[in-house]
Amino acid sequence: MKVPYAWLREYVDVEVTAQKLGEALTLVGLALEGLEGEGDAAVLDLDVTTNRVDCMNVYGVAREVAVIYGLPLKPLALGFAERGSPAGEALDVVIEAPDLCPRFCARVFDVALGPSPEWLRKRLEAVGVRPISNLVDLTNYVMMEMGQPTHAFDLGKIPKGRLKVRWARAGERVTTLDGAERILAGKVPVGVVAGPESPLALAGIMGGASSEVSDATRVVALEAAAWEPRAIRRGARALGMHTEASHRFERGADPEGPPLALNRLAHLLEKTGAGTCRPGLIERHPAPTARTRLVLRSTRLEAVLGTTVPTARVGPILEGLGFSVGRWASGQAEIVVPTWRGDVSREVDLVEEVGRHHGLGRVDATLPPSAHPQGLTDSQRRGRLIRDTLCAAGFTEVINYAFGPAVTAGMDVGPAVVLKNPLAEDQAGLRRSLLPGLLANLGTNLRQGRKDIAIFEMGRVFAPGGDLPVEERRLALLLAGEGRAAHWSERVRPADVFDVKGLLELLFRRLGLGTADLASGGGLPSYLHPGRSAVVRLNGDVVGSYGALHPETRAAHDLRDDVLVAELGLEALQERPAPPVRMEALDRFPAVSRDLSILSDVRQSSAALLALIREAAGASLRAVALVDRYDRPPVPPGKLSLTVSLRFQDRSRTLTGEEVQAAVEGVVRALRAAGAEIRGE
Amino acid sequence: MKLLGQFGPAERGQAGQLLNELKQEVERGLEQVKWWFEGKQSHEALDGPTEDLSLPGRLPRLGRVHPLSAVREDIEDIFVSMGYLVYEGREVEDDYHCFEALNMPADHPARDMQDTFYVAGGEGVVLRTHTSSAQIRYMLDNPHPPRVRIICPGRVFRRDDDITHSPMFQQIEGLVVGPGIHLGHLKGTIQAFLHAIFGEHFPVRFRPSFFPYTEPSVEADLGCVVCGGKGCRVCKGTGWLEILGSGMVHPAVFEAVNERRGRKVYDPEEVTGFAFGLGIERVAMMRHGIDDIRLFYGNDLRFLEQFAR
Repeated sequence: MKVPYAWLREYVDVEVTAQKLGEALTLVGLALEGLEGEGDAAVLDLDVTTNRVDCMNVYGVAREVAVIYGLPLKPLALGFAERGSPAGEALDVVIEAPDLCPRFCARVFDVALGPSPEWLRKRLEAVGVRPISNLVDLTNYVMMEMGQPTHAFDLGKIPKGRLKVRWARAGERVTTLDGAERILAGKVPVGVVAGPESPLALAGIMGGASSEVSDATRVVALEAAAWEPRAIRRGARALGMHTEASHRFERGADPEGPPLALNRLAHLLEKTGAGTCRPGLIERHPAPTARTRLVLRSTRLEAVLGTTVPTARVGPILEGLGFSVGRWASGQAEIVVPTWRGDVSREVDLVEEVGRHHGLGRVDATLPPSAHPQGLTDSQRRGRLIRDTLCAAGFTEVINYAFGPAVTAGMDVGPAVVLKNPLAEDQAGLRRSLLPGLLANLGTNLRQGRKDIAIFEMGRVFAPGGDLPVEERRLALLLAGEGRAAHWSERVRPADVFDVKGLLELLFRRLGLGTADLASGGGLPSYLHPGRSAVVRLNGDVVGSYGALHPETRAAHDLRDDVLVAELGLEALQERPAPPVRMEALDRFPAVSRDLSILSDVRQSSAALLALIREAAGASLRAVALVDRYDRPPVPPGKLSLTVSLRFQDRSRTLTGEEVQAAVEGVVRALRAAGAEIRGE
Repeated sequence: MKLLGQFGPAERGQAGQLLNELKQEVERGLEQVKWWFEGKQSHEALDGPTEDLSLPGRLPRLGRVHPLSAVREDIEDIFVSMGYLVYEGREVEDDYHCFEALNMPADHPARDMQDTFYVAGGEGVVLRTHTSSAQIRYMLDNPHPPRVRIICPGRVFRRDDDITHSPMFQQIEGLVVGPGIHLGHLKGTIQAFLHAIFGEHFPVRFRPSFFPYTEPSVEADLGCVVCGGKGCRVCKGTGWLEILGSGMVHPAVFEAVNERRGRKVYDPEEVTGFAFGLGIERVAMMRHGIDDIRLFYGNDLRFLEQFAR
């Protein structure tokens, strides 16, 4: 909000520079956002928080200034002379909806419309209001000065001079001052100020064109009312309107403001020669607001602020802000809240008032007493371990929006939770999988000319659920281009599914997870290549899948080359506690190694072959590893040449050559029985 | 030496001594021969091929942690060292946790401060606009009431999209509740945190503000990291950067939680607390000189690969 320094100084004799004043206001909660001009021409731009409607005007800010510097706040000039026939003869008001309007005040003026004097125009321009005519300008001036919006009706255009304050009836229309025709038929009730028949103005929001003042206007009715904040807020929202008036009314303007604002207007109209006031205030006050009375305890002040504020200091602060402070007895006093402070409704609000003017800087900064050390949970540490492992393995972390297109081409991941009011159509669905996001990132980076892309994301996915959607934390990764970093010493190799599989194996080992099965195909998502993908099973449970993207999915995204992906539930990786490792005794007796070359059918899975070997070799076999796999000539078509290395070792003695030989022969027999050929030992 | 026994006692000593000397002489000679051979071998090994170490090393592929994750972990570590538990709430929330329990009933003007995404089909189901909703979830589930010391990092959502606003961004909320917690503790904690993350030489300023769920509400400003407080474009000439919102927990928040729990778990007369919240992007932007928040979610490797971790 813009506050001209000279205008402030009409109400408080502050002597500091505008800059200093702005800094002081910042420290009581009215943050200086900008400062234009110097000396008396300076205009402060203050950030007034939404609760402080009392400071959305010059006089309210002046009150804060007066308290900061301990200066008196000068009263507003309200004096004027009444002339002519009683106002009540020309205008009658009925409030039919006290739940909309607890108080309606009006005065009738004989006016001579014309341009405003220069000082008035300048002031309005300084606060960002366009001058129009003396009457309209003065209503704006009073709103900017004391926060009460008022509205001028051309009395000649009020049918029969009678106003009704009521809720709009379905289908009623009104053309507002901005020229728009508003239809008041919606589900949300909208308040109006109406003539005997149709609405003339939107209550507390904007006046209507049919009773607008013009150069020909000779008599006006000036309205100043108190409106129920929620009614104004709902109505303005329903109509999609937001005005200076509605902004103040929906935050709760001072219920005592209306008669004062009319007096101030009468004073200023007289002073500027723009009009004279007819005798009598027309006032309807069906629902007077009770004054808020609170008890402030000095113990509470200290408990919240952490410092003692002497009652001798509390009194002047609160009184300066317009509160009346009763006598202190047993450490407490009754406080009556001023009508313009609707935001103060409980003791703690008073604590804030005292705290901000006593000064937050006077509260000593200290740390709370130490608490139980808690640390990160196992699960949180494992989450970090996953991130660090993937980064160390060459994958870069990305973070995508939780929303995206409700449907992704070539990726059926099930129905998405949909947003009612997305920013864009392609951000309408909450993601059910992290992979569409990673595919989009692949596209972004391919367009930049990147070829080798290794990225991962850890985040939540959403599925339709009961009252709230089901949230699940996931890990997904994507690999395209080369399998590893290029180097001058070797040829590059395109990434393949074993790069991803190896990475998952690395991850599971670092996490100390049990045996993972990364070889079975049942239940693969449709976007994965059925012959080069597998589900991931951890201790029997399916926790995700990995593999090459299905060619159709690739085609849907214009991707020529292979793309490898994996997606896993993080819960399964993070929440399974790894039992502490139990040390195994180190071997004291030598190991014997034997290699076997096997010719087997290509359809034979290597895992099954190794299992067969393990079983046939007996207890002395300590390890078996596949060291070579070859399927080109001279290996006959349909066959595979595999070389496995067997390591025999016993914990309690040295194995004899005969024992090892017997075990190897057992393996050879079993392999032959399974249809494999042994090509050499 | 085997023949020594054939000598008489007198000659035996003399012969033995001679023999010993001879033995040592031979051993010395052998040692020299061995040394010469080894030296020759190692010379031959050194004559082999050498490497041009100005060539690039075989660097494993290098992945990076997202700068927001790095900042988030740094912040978590600071608070964990002060005894805080890291707690994450939900991202899709109901109106109760996101607004109502935080002293923002329907039609509250403060709801205007946050433009909310709504989920279709659900009544009052929203994408959380702030991590403050996690405060409520934790207080309702807290195994050790009324004592609380948590930070809640996570993603939040608001309908805004420009150079300084992203429709999704990340916050960290903090909540400390217990007997005797006061504004001085809030100040001390926030000051300690800001000094830990930005450096001790930046001044911290506290000024009154407004949030519906805290009273008094306090905004913390950090001396401008760009101009050092002299005033520049970044700090709009004020010398200060708004960094963090905070305040003493509003009694209405405790009352809302008590009401749902069905008993006075957090008696506002017995316990007090403070809460704070800050944007992770803002810290990352200040730390790395990033001027467009949208870069964080563009996932362009040219951006992500600039960061060291």
